[in-house]
Amino acid sequence: MTRVMHRHMKHSAIAAAAVAVLLAGTANGLAQESVAVRATMTKGPLPVDDPNAAAWNSAPQAQFPMSPQVHWQNRIQEATVKDLKVRALNDGQNVAVLLEYADPTEDPADAAALEFMVGDKKAHFAHGQPMAQVEGGPVNIWFWRNKDGKGVDMSAKGFGTLKTQSHQDVTAKGAYANGTWKVIFSRAMTTEHPAEDMQLKPGEFINIAFAVWDGRKDGAGDLVEKGSQKAVSSWWYFRAEAPPDYSGYIYAALAMGLALAFQFVLIRKLKKGQSA
Amino acid sequence: MGTLTKPIILLVVIYLLLKFVVPNIPGSAPLPSSLIFLYLMLTIAGIVIFYTMSGESKDAFWGPIQRFLTGENIGALQTARYAVLILFPLLVGWQTYGSTAVSDAPPAENRTIHPAPPGEYTGLSNPVAKTPENIMQGKGFYAAFCSPCHGGNFDGKGPAARGFNPPPANFSDPTTIAMLQESYLFWRIKKGGVGLPIEGMPWKSAMPRWEVELPDEWIWKIILGEYDGAHQSPRTWE
Repeated sequence: MTRVMHRHMKHSAIAAAAVAVLLAGTANGLAQESVAVRATMTKGPLPVDDPNAAAWNSAPQAQFPMSPQVHWQNRIQEATVKDLKVRALNDGQNVAVLLEYADPTEDPADAAALEFMVGDKKAHFAHGQPMAQVEGGPVNIWFWRNKDGKGVDMSAKGFGTLKTQSHQDVTAKGAYANGTWKVIFSRAMTTEHPAEDMQLKPGEFINIAFAVWDGRKDGAGDLVEKGSQKAVSSWWYFRAEAPPDYSGYIYAALAMGLALAFQFVLIRKLKKGQSA
Repeated sequence: MGTLTKPIILLVVIYLLLKFVVPNIPGSAPLPSSLIFLYLMLTIAGIVIFYTMSGESKDAFWGPIQRFLTGENIGALQTARYAVLILFPLLVGWQTYGSTAVSDAPPAENRTIHPAPPGEYTGLSNPVAKTPENIMQGKGFYAAFCSPCHGGNFDGKGPAARGFNPPPANFSDPTTIAMLQESYLFWRIKKGGVGLPIEGMPWKSAMPRWEVELPDEWIWKIILGEYDGAHQSPRTWE
């Protein structure tokens, strides 16, 4: 392959330029931001309380850009958190998600949240607000705030409908060090409330979005980021990696066997027909 | 093998036509491989029907194929025969693997960027006169409401744009507002991302539904300011 490429490049400058464009394209592809969080399959129990556990290193890190929330009122024109690093693990039963982001100060009102679509209907990333031409579904929000020190399991379907669920399944734990928040959310992959909770099947891509509030106060003592005034992301993908699946190879081997048998029978028939 | 030469040439010519000539016809586009496959299958079916119309042509058509498959008196083609007999099961296996193996990639997204607007938003003309004052006022509204995402330079690179996917439209790009009528922009600004039909994936769009915050007249002025600032003209049918 390389040798072929070299030969081409000797042959003409145009080919060399074409290869350069191709390589540049590949490099751009690599530099692109993540589109999916992949929860690596690991042996339990998951490190749901320890953001520095070695197990997190086995999970690839995804990075997502954040925007100040300007989609609906009340807006904010600039938010503290610009990027979010995300890792995730699953042990087949539970899932844990580790958020990591820079925040210059630790404040009681520092908070973060994950958002998921619930069920098969698409939901708008802004709290599942109604869409004009598409029937939307609800969202499931996992919320953590520094001063609460726990995870809150919430539901919403449209603005002003955000509510804490009657059944709480989410745990959360935050740890602040060196200007960085590390927040872990965890939950069982499935719950008994599929109408309100996100359900995670191994190998299946679902939608996830993020929100972060910097709990700092302005000169007058008011929170700068609160409620809808936060850093947000659009929908991205989330997948709990499944145990390795070799069924594709088995089906391919079966199909090859069938094709061979078909050839064998066909040629035998043809030969018989010719000699008769 | 003389009888088979013509059908093979025909197949190759049709493949080359579909693959390289059709996409270059003005207003055309590259054909998906599944469609090319379908056309080639139809061609093969046609060839088979043609050659099996009479007993004579049927034998002339199938004879060489039979001889090739059974390997009798084909001499130097024996190697090609073995190659076909080995490659066919491999190809079947490969196809099966490709269609049954679990993909590791996120679902492909074919989002339509400019889907058709509802009927009531087609062909509306801007009721606001295109005067320097109105354009300037529109640019002021644009700076206040639109520029955080769409950018002070109308390039889609405002300070709030980075987290949004799909990214805010770049109005200086000739494939955005320059291809659209003012009426279309009016719909998109008024109804926002949530107003899109399903092919526009409304659940992903961060475009606000400005009808709840801005009067229609402001929206029309924003449209004037937007075209002027981005150095584009609306599409017209005259």
